[in-house]
Amino acid sequence: MRDVYVIGIGITSFTRLEYPLAEIAAYPAVQAMQDAKLDKVDHMFVANMGAGRVNRQTGLASAVIDHLCLQPAGAETIENGPASGASAIKAAYMAIASGMHDTVLAVGAERMNEVNSLEATDFVSTLSHPMAEAIYGVTLPSLAGMFTRLYMHKYGVTARHLAMVAIKNHANAMHNPFAHVRNLITMDGILDSVDAPTNNPIIADPLRFFDVCPVSDGGCALVLASEEVAKKSGRPMIKLAGVGQATDTHAVHDRPDPTELTAVKLAAAQALKMAKKTPQDVNVAELHDAFTILEIVESEEVGFFKKGEGHLALERGETQIGGKIPINTSGGLKAKGHPVGATGVAQAHEIVTQLRGEAHKRQVKGAKVGFTCNFGGFGNNVVCLVFTRE
Amino acid sequence: MERDILGYKCRKCGHVQYPYRTRCRGCGHVEWNGVDIVYDTVPLPKNGKLLTFTHLYALPSDFEAVNISLGIVELEGGNRITGQLKIKDPKIGMKVFGKVEVVRREEYKKYWGMVFYAEGA
Repeated sequence: MRDVYVIGIGITSFTRLEYPLAEIAAYPAVQAMQDAKLDKVDHMFVANMGAGRVNRQTGLASAVIDHLCLQPAGAETIENGPASGASAIKAAYMAIASGMHDTVLAVGAERMNEVNSLEATDFVSTLSHPMAEAIYGVTLPSLAGMFTRLYMHKYGVTARHLAMVAIKNHANAMHNPFAHVRNLITMDGILDSVDAPTNNPIIADPLRFFDVCPVSDGGCALVLASEEVAKKSGRPMIKLAGVGQATDTHAVHDRPDPTELTAVKLAAAQALKMAKKTPQDVNVAELHDAFTILEIVESEEVGFFKKGEGHLALERGETQIGGKIPINTSGGLKAKGHPVGATGVAQAHEIVTQLRGEAHKRQVKGAKVGFTCNFGGFGNNVVCLVFTRE
Repeated sequence: MERDILGYKCRKCGHVQYPYRTRCRGCGHVEWNGVDIVYDTVPLPKNGKLLTFTHLYALPSDFEAVNISLGIVELEGGNRITGQLKIKDPKIGMKVFGKVEVVRREEYKKYWGMVFYAEGA
């Protein structure tokens, strides 16, 4: 297989965007191509989850390729729930590594605010098992709530630890111009003061408002290329060195131990093995913190910390910028935002920015190895990626 | 008539799975009768132990309640099931029993599912 490099990146603001979905995909794609100094590519994969349902548009990739005037290049839409973004990057990787193509765009885009928040919740809850979960009113936050309660019971994680994740990620997002939520929050404001229950109401207890990511619109794109094209481009050589993916049971109750995110563990191990790295080699990571608890648990499953000790490392500040392994320097899904189909691409965008040394105030000094974990469903389809700077 | 939630018993290894799957999760077996895939159906037990729960306040748009309680229950015999709870103060590990009731309505459609109560209630 051939080596694959990221030579161009582009992103929109993650917020409420008032332009059509195909443009939300096309604008960052143009930026990424300009960054890569290319005016055409061989192929494009567009990651998206809700176009058919939320935006009443199908065949999104064909619409995006038309916006970009890239015909007759091939184009496909990739839907893999909230892990669609990393799946599009994986597809691009396979296309180049196999020798089929030399330059591929991996784009992710979502426009969720075309519907109100209740409809957006309904849409995301279609990920759950139709007969064994969805009929009861199960939503993703409710699965996360049940998971959190069990995790707290087993490992001593508290509401304070969850709040620490939110406070850290909001602080990181202050330095990310593309982040959806850019305001600092404090322990007093969301947990300790008399106003805290009003500021931070229960969503799916023990999870509160500030434990849950916002509903965002946004788009992001990467240009991936073969070694030959990457060298010619003169852009920094950021290698996509490892790709891993694993699945788990559809219904969460079916897992032998529902506090284990087995698919995260397996996908991470696969990606790190392929990149010939260990968790301790990673300098910066973007983990899928759709709910604050997930950042803690994923940091354990990936192998940064022992099982049941992620919250203790968080307490010690090891996941902050300047700590042992900074996590979610972009603000994470929690504060950067979570346009579902775009998230996996945006995680890679942040890691490439960090490895290029272009992250300004949120830069992790000397970062050479970066890791992303894109989590689909409630952990039933997970894609992990490892990037290295050469 | 008492309603049940059905488990699907593999005709080769005897593993009872819930929910339904095309292949047996126990051994991977698929039994065809020439037309369809067949399992022996068995009613799932209704008594069990509460594994975890949540009170959900951000509900799907068709629910009229302010909140609902949801939980995962470990049933006697080992199968697990997600269901609604009608328990005032649920606790992890408490004993519960289930009844099959209407758990969701969408216009004229009714969905039946397991609702759990505290044992002794």
